[in-house]
Amino acid sequence: MNKLVHNELLKLFRKRRLFVIILIIAALVPLFTYAQYQEVKTTREKLGNVDWRTQLQQEIVDTQNRLSSSRMQDDWRKYLKIRLAQQQYYLDHNINPQAPGAPTFMRVFVENSIDLLLPLLVMVVAADLVSSEASGGTIKLLLTRPVKRWRILLSKYLALILSVSFIVTASAVLSYGISGVVFGYGGWGMPLLTGFSTSGEELVTNNVHLIPQWQYILMEFGLVWFVCLVVGTLTFMLSVLLRSTAAVMGIMLAALIAGAILSNMVSSWESAKYLFMVNLSLTDYISGMATPIEGMSLGFSLIVLLVWAIAGLVVSFTVFTKKDVY
Amino acid sequence: MRKKGLSLITALSILSALVWLVGLAWVLQDQFFADGKSRQAETMQPDTPQKQKDNSSSAKKLQIAAIGDSLTRGTGDPDGKGYIGYLKEELAKKTKKEIELTNSAIKGQTSSQLIKQIQQPQIQRQIKNADVILLTIGGNDLFRGGQALEELDSQNINKTEDAYLSNLKAIYKEVRSLNKSGIVYHVGLYNPFSDMKDSKTTSGIVRKWNYDSANAAAAQPNIIYVPTFDLFELNVNDYLYSDHFHPNKQGYQLIGERTASLIRFSEEDQK
Repeated sequence: MNKLVHNELLKLFRKRRLFVIILIIAALVPLFTYAQYQEVKTTREKLGNVDWRTQLQQEIVDTQNRLSSSRMQDDWRKYLKIRLAQQQYYLDHNINPQAPGAPTFMRVFVENSIDLLLPLLVMVVAADLVSSEASGGTIKLLLTRPVKRWRILLSKYLALILSVSFIVTASAVLSYGISGVVFGYGGWGMPLLTGFSTSGEELVTNNVHLIPQWQYILMEFGLVWFVCLVVGTLTFMLSVLLRSTAAVMGIMLAALIAGAILSNMVSSWESAKYLFMVNLSLTDYISGMATPIEGMSLGFSLIVLLVWAIAGLVVSFTVFTKKDVY
Repeated sequence: MRKKGLSLITALSILSALVWLVGLAWVLQDQFFADGKSRQAETMQPDTPQKQKDNSSSAKKLQIAAIGDSLTRGTGDPDGKGYIGYLKEELAKKTKKEIELTNSAIKGQTSSQLIKQIQQPQIQRQIKNADVILLTIGGNDLFRGGQALEELDSQNINKTEDAYLSNLKAIYKEVRSLNKSGIVYHVGLYNPFSDMKDSKTTSGIVRKWNYDSANAAAAQPNIIYVPTFDLFELNVNDYLYSDHFHPNKQGYQLIGERTASLIRFSEEDQK
């Protein structure tokens, strides 16, 4: 089994997929770093004041002013109210949510890339794991070996898990290393609030507690890893079903982007919450953002994703072991 | 070389898979099963020091805190500055000091809502540090978007005014107890309906309202009630925004200039 996995990793390595992905992240992170830096700079200039408490107070007042406007959609108003309660809590407890530093950047980066960027990168690796063997004809050579089919597929899947872990780690290391040049490397111990949940219009704060930022980041990366695994598994399934890598990529791409669009407009289509792509933003539950659909929670999303992944695995293995290869 | 690289990446991947698995497990533990243990952290952290920083630099700065309703917010001014924006420009011409302005006004705020707002520690901190405090309040109590004056029921209006006055006194008292030396400029009301048919009655109500507010201001030291009634008395339409209630740019300029003319600087701070 070890040898098989090693063999698969060697193939991935030869194809330079991981290398390309690291290059993509390394190219994007400076871009985001610069954007973040500009944002911090302009807000400081605008207020002419470096004190974050004043800045946060201004944000609160601005939100209150927006709330008093009568032409506003209900779900947007709800979101603002939650945001407001949270900001007020930060202010009352003297916690700076925007304290600059590489860990903060990492956190923002991972929160924003969990539903699209990282799944896309994972998809690039997973899409042609099986389908390229089918379209290139090498699958015959692979299957003529005296190894059970499910073991071959399992080795491929394990290789996928390993490369997903590698991609997540690479994005963590790169975002920390590169942004630290600008923001400094400190800030791991900063306390952050988590445990917000929403029920209806209320922000439920009875489970709210503080955790240090390093733990927060570790938790968020754990969630990102999980999401990437699920997306990887589904791509893997498509890769087993279809011979063409382009088709696999196309379908996955469409599904992921549809998820991003749907999250913005499904608030009244309730059964959409069973789709895997609207459940990808798991980090929002940690930071206490409003869910796209009423009734979604961290546990719910985790289970939905898990069910999709298990279904994907079952389909992959049954199809792969049964199908005729010619 | 290549082989080494591969096994390195493999080892790294296995390691990171484990680390992220721990992270994921921690999420489950933290979000679903955490109760008593992590709660202790909450009491541990809040209110770290770092409060004294702002006072040291105040000699070179003029700190202005603005609170109140839409007039202070600047509703109706296409540039969004409001009278405090023009006031700041005027002051900048007169002084070398750096002017630091925080605007915490909220559109549509009534006097009872303002009392709640100034209970917030951040607002209190701003008031505490301010050299000048700007305030507009009462417009929403009185006009309630223009409905109350249409009724013109004097008993009703007296009731609102009594409630407003007691709120106002509480606000003055709170501000004074937070900040003993800063000068408060309470910008008064004008009558946006002075060109309408009942203008005699409405103007009378606003005049009385202003008079009573000015009396309340006089009861406390260093609270200046700045009249605006006269500014809008003639040609009210030239100074009002199209909602016929808030001032427009020219109207805000008038208020800003008037208030700015009341703020003086010592000789060394003058330009």
